[in-house]
Amino acid sequence: MSALRLISNRTSQQASSNSDYTWEYEYYEYGPVSFEGLKAHKYSIVIGFWVGLAVFVIFMFFVLTLLTKTGAPHQDNAEPSEKRFRMNSFVGDFGRPLESERVFSRQIAEESQSLFHFCINEVEHLDKAKQSQKGPGLENNVHFQEVPRSSGMFEEDVNCLTKFNIPNFVNTEQNSSLGEDDLLISEPPIILESKSIMQSSHRILD
Amino acid sequence: ENISDFSLNITDCTQVVVPEEVFFTVAAAGILENLLVLIAVVRNKNLHLPMYFFICSLAISDMLGSLYKTLENIFIILCKMGYLTRRGDFEKKLDDAMDSMFILSLLGSIFSLLAIAADRYITIFYALRYHNIMTLRRALVILAIIWTFCAGSSIAIALFSYEAATVIPFTILFPLMMFFILCLYVHMFLLARSHAKKIASLPTSTVHQRTNMKGAITLTIFLGVFLCCWAPFVLHILLARFCPHNPYCACYMSIFHVNGTLIMCNAIINPMIFAFRSPELRSTFKKMFCCAR
Repeated sequence: MSALRLISNRTSQQASSNSDYTWEYEYYEYGPVSFEGLKAHKYSIVIGFWVGLAVFVIFMFFVLTLLTKTGAPHQDNAEPSEKRFRMNSFVGDFGRPLESERVFSRQIAEESQSLFHFCINEVEHLDKAKQSQKGPGLENNVHFQEVPRSSGMFEEDVNCLTKFNIPNFVNTEQNSSLGEDDLLISEPPIILESKSIMQSSHRILD
Repeated sequence: ENISDFSLNITDCTQVVVPEEVFFTVAAAGILENLLVLIAVVRNKNLHLPMYFFICSLAISDMLGSLYKTLENIFIILCKMGYLTRRGDFEKKLDDAMDSMFILSLLGSIFSLLAIAADRYITIFYALRYHNIMTLRRALVILAIIWTFCAGSSIAIALFSYEAATVIPFTILFPLMMFFILCLYVHMFLLARSHAKKIASLPTSTVHQRTNMKGAITLTIFLGVFLCCWAPFVLHILLARFCPHNPYCACYMSIFHVNGTLIMCNAIINPMIFAFRSPELRSTFKKMFCCAR
């Protein structure tokens, strides 16, 4: 970068000759540097810098790995796929906005259930008046297979369901199992059956 | 004893040379890749989201960095062939313009990464209110502010690079931003860990130990790549300002072109770890290439 040229603005020495490689355009104007009497290796800054950088990155990696140790025992999944806890596929869908056509698929319906709970818990923090006003209209919204984009009911919930787009930077595998990659904010236990979902949502909103 | 004014001693650190072909290839690959990302986002209406706009901003700054290096390379070749003089006024102005483009690219990269991290943070911690907080208009306003600030700073730094004062804020900004981004991501991480713990305590959950590593690996790659690609150059600027005559510093500065190549490698790697991780973007690419055939 030739800003460096301005830093050492010397024209006294033309160290560059035409036989030198073209890269020496204005970068050699640092003047004569004496290399005598060096105590350490001449590339010590280079080596020290790169070693330091590598150590720092590895240290950061180990710190992050330690942070992610969940400490939970490994459990085998003996559940059938329908009742299987579908957090993992939700986790895998981070990068994909929930478009309305996807909501209609059964797999996504289960994800939506967990999403809905996630939305519900945030709803608790929202304005109560707003919730009570729109409370009666919830029945229309509980049928996840038909949730319309513009229901107007809990605009944020619907937006959350249809356009939820968590960045997929932690996990992009479609069927990856749950690890620390789960970024839900819902509180466990999360009930999967649709009946109890409707009940709990009614409870929260009334 | 070699006490000569013409420092061509054997013990000297001569400039480490990167072949022109390597340079051009790396730069062209960076420009093409980021251009593809931009085209994909523009063409696909589903990708008109704040998250992808920030990724585009990162792609633009990467493109500027690679473009700068390409232009500099061409400039040097023209100088070598004699079409341009080294000391002319026009060349100096061109040089300054290119320097400011490079600083613009660096600042743009840093702020884009910061914007991406902040966007993800808001997505996770304010998920339900995300679409009210981060509307498309606000995202565009944020990007406009970022790029105006970067453009102003780059022009100011390029014009006033004589002063020591410009180098110091520049080199302080870099680790500060890195640290801030790291804090944002670690906080997101801690939340993910606490939720993983809660989910794992459920009777019907499946926990695989190996996926615990994935988030740590991803985050390390993010920050490690940025650090490894930009930090050598930032150190170079510091050393050039404060100890140009020290032999150790001079030896570090002799690998300047390797540092430049690293910056261009960053332009190639960034789309892979940000843009291409989105399935939507990948499917847009496939469509683009399938239609082209």
